[in-house]
Amino acid sequence: MVTEAVYIILPVYNESPVVLQQVVDELLERDYKLIVVDDGSSERIDKVLRGKAVTLLRHPVNLGQGAALQTGFEYARQLQARYVVTFDADGQHTPDSIEKLLEPILKGSADIVLGSRFLPGASHNAPMFRRLLFRLAHLVNAMLVRLPVSDSHNGLRALNAKALASICLTENRMAHATEILLQIKSNRLRYAEVPVQIRYSSYARKKGQSAADSIKVFFDLVLHKLFE
Amino acid sequence: MTGIQIVLIVLLFMILVYTIVRLRNRKMEILLLSALVLSGFVLVLFPDLTIVLAHKLGVGRGTDLVFYISTLLFWFVILKLYTRIRKLEQLLTQVLRKETLKEESEKLRQP
Repeated sequence: MVTEAVYIILPVYNESPVVLQQVVDELLERDYKLIVVDDGSSERIDKVLRGKAVTLLRHPVNLGQGAALQTGFEYARQLQARYVVTFDADGQHTPDSIEKLLEPILKGSADIVLGSRFLPGASHNAPMFRRLLFRLAHLVNAMLVRLPVSDSHNGLRALNAKALASICLTENRMAHATEILLQIKSNRLRYAEVPVQIRYSSYARKKGQSAADSIKVFFDLVLHKLFE
Repeated sequence: MTGIQIVLIVLLFMILVYTIVRLRNRKMEILLLSALVLSGFVLVLFPDLTIVLAHKLGVGRGTDLVFYISTLLFWFVILKLYTRIRKLEQLLTQVLRKETLKEESEKLRQP
């Protein structure tokens, strides 16, 4: 059990109020501290969160998930958070995964823990085409990053204070997932992977990335490598 | 002088004037661009020169050589512009993030 506060960073962009409310309630039930980063949604989400014990940060315009996470990280740093978890707001993650995710950090064996859909013990009901995309992303990552992780584009991650202090995302959009891996490597953070459950609802599937998006991510990555 | 030569010379001249006016304080860049424009003048006035150059480099036609070089320059400019855009985007993100965090941190400071 964790005795200290665990901060959950929840990047939100044009999420359905029903799903968002459910995700937030599930997390609050477990006594986590919630930092919701609204990435410039077209409709304000204050109403959905009214009366709930959450911190709401709001980008004036849409910048991308990477930017939203970084805003959350910087806020958590100001709070001197020791345990931070990133969580997707589309309902694909289960709050029960968080305890498992924190275990290696609490034991002191890792600075950052990545959730994985593909380790033994994990489960996910991703459709065939999406699985193919994951495979492709995995290959690209293996080439560009050379960090042996099984699932690079998983939004579930846990960080301790050290990882929080050293990770600084500059990729505003989805290429941030790879950027995190690059920074794990360059900052020599100890990392671990933990199998997690992912439930793809039709809603999460619709909100998720398409094949065209992955091409964009690929170009962002190549350019990141070129310029950084 | 043919019609196309006049058009090209006028355009090149305009580019030269524009560069000098815009980049007043950046001597290195003015020098570089002036050299480019001047070589443009020479090649427009003596188009046969490109053929001599092309043959020296193993390219069949002078126009092809010019085309290859323009393509390279084009890509160079695109990459330059892209880096500039990335930098701007990062700057914008930092400003907006600061703005976003300011309100909340003020709340934190006054308990």
